[in-house]
Amino acid sequence: MTPVLKAEKLSKWYGNILGISDINLEIRSGITGLLGPNGAGKSTFLKIAAGQLKPKLGALTVFGEPVYGNPRLFRRIGFCPEHDSAYVEMSGRGFILLLARLHGFAGAEAAAKAEKALATVGLLDSQDRLIKGYSFGMRQRLRLASSILHEPELLMLDEPLRGVDPLWRIRIMQLIVSSHILPEIEAMTNEIVLIHQGKIFAKGDIHRIRNLIDSHPHQVSIRTPHPRQLAARLIGNDFISGIEFASDHRGLTVRTNQRDQFFTHLMSLLAESGVETEEITSPDDNLQAVFDYLIGK
Amino acid sequence: MTMKAKRPIRILFRSFFSSGLRAKRTRVFILLALVPVLLMLAARIMEGVGSASASDVAGFFGHFMLSLYFQLLIPVLALFFGTSIVNEELDNKTLVYLTTVPVPRRAVLLGKYLAALLLAALLIVAGFLLCFLAASFTRLGDAAAWEELGLFLGTSLLALFCYSALFTALGAFMKKSILLGLFFVFGWESVVQYFPGVTQKFTIIHWIKSLLPIPPGQNSFLSFQLQPSPPLQSVLTLLAAGLLFLYIAVFIFERKEYILSDNA
Repeated sequence: MTPVLKAEKLSKWYGNILGISDINLEIRSGITGLLGPNGAGKSTFLKIAAGQLKPKLGALTVFGEPVYGNPRLFRRIGFCPEHDSAYVEMSGRGFILLLARLHGFAGAEAAAKAEKALATVGLLDSQDRLIKGYSFGMRQRLRLASSILHEPELLMLDEPLRGVDPLWRIRIMQLIVSSHILPEIEAMTNEIVLIHQGKIFAKGDIHRIRNLIDSHPHQVSIRTPHPRQLAARLIGNDFISGIEFASDHRGLTVRTNQRDQFFTHLMSLLAESGVETEEITSPDDNLQAVFDYLIGK
Repeated sequence: MTMKAKRPIRILFRSFFSSGLRAKRTRVFILLALVPVLLMLAARIMEGVGSASASDVAGFFGHFMLSLYFQLLIPVLALFFGTSIVNEELDNKTLVYLTTVPVPRRAVLLGKYLAALLLAALLIVAGFLLCFLAASFTRLGDAAAWEELGLFLGTSLLALFCYSALFTALGAFMKKSILLGLFFVFGWESVVQYFPGVTQKFTIIHWIKSLLPIPPGQNSFLSFQLQPSPPLQSVLTLLAAGLLFLYIAVFIFERKEYILSDNA
């Protein structure tokens, strides 16, 4: 079966700045999350996949065809760009209707497609207003409408999640969505591709990657007026590899290799002992920290 | 042009002409296009109160107003409208919407070019018409006056077509094209047109001036150092140059990779 998207030895750079380097990747049906910190190369990859940029080296095909300079393929592809851009002198409806017509729909059919797309993103009520009067979130949703109006087989969304209603209401066969926010991707799909410094860093099921993360110590910070009392009750457990006290004597940071087990134990301990706590945070529970662990920083 | 490209050209032309009419920039250009009309009315008022003679006013139109239109307003409007066709899409990062639809890039450029050309033409024709009426209202029954008007308007449209195509190509080629365009209008065109011999033929204004009637007077912008080319040759040259510039614009736009921002 032909993959939806296939990249072979794909590289792109801008002058001396590396975009992506030697990427080999096949994406098949379903929802795929493209994850990576800012500057990792996600947008470059998606822009090549959407025919906006030319690969410097290697090749990328969508549905078996090269994308750059192949406008016919855009009947099957929808692309939602990351930029907050729009034709501000047009109304929301005028903008979507223009794109519907450019997609080849005419008359009533174009109007129906535009209306359906605007309804999907909840902009029907404000469709006749000029875009310059739209809020950031509304413009974001309008961009989304522009990418789904022709009901593409493959939808590519570049950082689309800020200020937008949940996307999984949209019925799309294939979806590639990029983000640097792990929980947002996690809510949509288990299948992810991690990009870092222009290279594919990990690919596969999110739980497997999480397990990889669990093999590294997690940090859990607990703000409490009784840090020594709490530490005394925690120390000695196998899953705790270290405890560090805060310099203001009002908290401690615990390092654990088994976060789930630690949290279960902590919750029951707090309930039993009645040790007062003000805040529990995970300072390394973000994608950047995960990357830092994986790349050995 | 294939049927496949004609429909999107029509769609883009209508859409961008309609949004162009509402754009702030167009309002500014309307004011700019009214400046010569106000100047012409002022000249008429001066004639009315006896501060200027009828021949002074006719000379004012023949020398100053034609110079204002053909050496300033038309190239400047063409510069702003022409370069904005691609540059505006890059500045506003909206190009992505037009390059992710199943439409050839040449249709995008040509649709937008025609919309910009019509907007600029409306501004010039309306301003020129008002100006001409203010200058010639005493000879409106004279067929020669209307012939003259037809010649001015036809030449204006040819000039707009050619300049707009040139600046569309410039805008497609480079992002900060306004500065180079201004250098072309106020440097190259303003200076080289006065070079003797064949050199002046390397300007667009030479071919435009060759189409206009030369009024009496040694210092007219039309006659100074002008060695006019035959009218038919001038028309064909302007048309050919305009088409060539348009072809170059399409060629660049179809092949150039436009990077909309710092890519991550």
